[in-house]
Amino acid sequence: MIHSYLYLSIILFCLGIVGVISRRNVFTVFMSIELMLNAANLAFVAFARVHESMDGHVLAMMVMAVAAAEAALALAVVILLHKHKSKLDTNVFSLLKG
Amino acid sequence: MGQSVHYLGLIPLFPLMGAVFIGLLHVFTCKNAKLPEKVYGLLACVGPVLSFVMALKVFFQLKALPVDARFLSHNAFTWFSVGDLHINMGFLADPLSCLMLLFVTLIGSLIHIYSIGYMSGDKNYGKFFAYMNLFLGSMLVLVLGDSPVVMFVGWEGVGLCSYLLISFYSEDTNNVLAGNKAFIVNRIGDLGFVLGMSFLFWGIGASGFDYLSLKANIHHLTPAIALTVCLLLFVGATGKSAQIPLYVWLPDAMAGPTPVSALIHAATMVTAGVYMVARFSFLYAHVELAGDIVAWVGILTALLAAIFGMFQNDIKKVLAYSTVSQLGYMFAGVGVAAYSAGIFHVFTHAFFKALLFLGAGSVIYAMHHEQNIWKMGGLKAKMPKTYLTMVIGALALAGCPPFSGFFSKDEILFSALATGHYGIWAVGLLVACMTAYYTFRMIFVVFHGEPRDQHAFDHAKESPAVMTVPLIILAVGAAFAGFLNMPGVQTVSHWLAPSLTEHHPHASSFVLVFAMATSIVAFLVGIKIAYSKFGKGAAEPVFSGFEKFAYNKFYVDELYNAVIVQPYKAVGSSIWKTIEPNVTDGPVKAVTRLYMMIGTAFKVFQVGYVRIYAIYMIVGLSLMSLFLSQSLN
Repeated sequence: MIHSYLYLSIILFCLGIVGVISRRNVFTVFMSIELMLNAANLAFVAFARVHESMDGHVLAMMVMAVAAAEAALALAVVILLHKHKSKLDTNVFSLLKG
Repeated sequence: MGQSVHYLGLIPLFPLMGAVFIGLLHVFTCKNAKLPEKVYGLLACVGPVLSFVMALKVFFQLKALPVDARFLSHNAFTWFSVGDLHINMGFLADPLSCLMLLFVTLIGSLIHIYSIGYMSGDKNYGKFFAYMNLFLGSMLVLVLGDSPVVMFVGWEGVGLCSYLLISFYSEDTNNVLAGNKAFIVNRIGDLGFVLGMSFLFWGIGASGFDYLSLKANIHHLTPAIALTVCLLLFVGATGKSAQIPLYVWLPDAMAGPTPVSALIHAATMVTAGVYMVARFSFLYAHVELAGDIVAWVGILTALLAAIFGMFQNDIKKVLAYSTVSQLGYMFAGVGVAAYSAGIFHVFTHAFFKALLFLGAGSVIYAMHHEQNIWKMGGLKAKMPKTYLTMVIGALALAGCPPFSGFFSKDEILFSALATGHYGIWAVGLLVACMTAYYTFRMIFVVFHGEPRDQHAFDHAKESPAVMTVPLIILAVGAAFAGFLNMPGVQTVSHWLAPSLTEHHPHASSFVLVFAMATSIVAFLVGIKIAYSKFGKGAAEPVFSGFEKFAYNKFYVDELYNAVIVQPYKAVGSSIWKTIEPNVTDGPVKAVTRLYMMIGTAFKVFQVGYVRIYAIYMIVGLSLMSLFLSQSLN
């Protein structure tokens, strides 16, 4: 039973990774990150059910709260980025190039 | 062990505290609100005078003790411990250091008082007194130190102050160069001192490195090491006390203010070398060869400096060379193992040479900083007090009975004769004659005859009381200090006996009378020649031949410059121009090139796209997880 949940969690996580790596739109990257967080949450909750412990649930709630805070911050950053270059393509922001 | 008394540490502490206090006061007030000079003058004199009072207390306490137990000590704190070596900041007052203590603090106090007048109007008034106090403190550490290491602290301290005060008028480059010269030449001597100290420690330092333990263990030292130590320490002494071959700095040191020349470069610091040899008398007394070398170097220095002194035109240069010459006498004295005679000459010399320098300072002050004796003349009428005191100083220096210099110089010559050093005695006698000549040449030219510069003469006037009173006190010392050790009384020799390892030669009274009579004849001949040449006033001579050679100091400075300084500079610049770019720069630059190459190689990973960095992260985390799961299994 637990295996199905974990497989789903892995699939969701990999989808998130692929999204972060392959997409160039800042919003899509952000949404992919949220997907990865939720994959982790699923795994937490699944393990919590198996071990009959509340720790996993607590952590899942916490991740949700952090994700909400992060969303607020990330949106502000996105707005600033847009003001700066009038684009939301991550390839435009390559100041760290050596 | 002797008695432990706490106030011994206070003696150097008073002037050192004064130095810090005055120095801070000067630093914080020199920019905007200037303090009145009186404040500095008063503060500066407190430390030396308190030290003098303490020195008197030490003297009376020592005097009350039985002869064999006459030493007081105080261990302020343990300076450092390395393994079994414990170096204490310890102070020792025995008859030898007590004698030095008394005259250093007395003359130091007088010169501080004199400086209040002499330095008036100088814009660095506070700085001057801070340095002077620092000097006195260091000198007292040197004298009171209970081990060679503590002595060395004072030794370096006085060297530093000497450098600071020689280049005191730092607007003139020449003064700064003179200061540098003094410092560098002294450094050469100090290297000898450090090496000597190291050899001594290597030999017998394991069982205590203070004078008393060294003295007790001195017979464990092998003769070869003992000779090495003696000679290396003497190298240190030649630097500090201006002997051949390191005497060249002292005449240049006259660039400093005159009270400095009197205190540091005549009365106290330059006698540190003689004090050191006397302090190590237990060592030198065992090594006859070292003693002979010391004596011959001393007497040859005395001769050379006396020759130079006869042809100088600068009043301070004449006195500077006479100081070198008298220091030579002192070394001749300690070299022939007549330590008390040498120290006694240090003692009397401090009085009459400080007196002569301060008198010269008074003249220079009156003549508006003119130092050429051929611009003076006839000042006798204008400056009676200075004239009278300077004549007393000159008589003492020239060795006229019954002034102090006669007894001390005669005792050195007598000791040389009695111990069979006839060569040293003969040269010493010749130098005595020359001393009388150049001293009275100076007196006659400056004070007698007609004024050579009418304008300066008209403006000359006697110095204020704050300057003449110290002159008078010193003149009393210069006149009567000799009686303390006149033949038959020997108060000073008996006083010093517990500190020194010395065997008084048994000579017939004929030798004594002969030595005295010949010194008196030498003095009379010298003064007679000086009078016949300069007594009635003489024009400035034009030097030629040997005189010119001597006036230019045998071109020793030029020789040193050509043989040592220039080759040294050439080596330095060749290293800078050839070895540095071709040899040492190679590896250094190779390292920078290596880092640049590594940087270029890693640059390709920095593409600047966030996605790619995410890939790096994922790859890294995956590898870490893989590694963890592997190691867990």
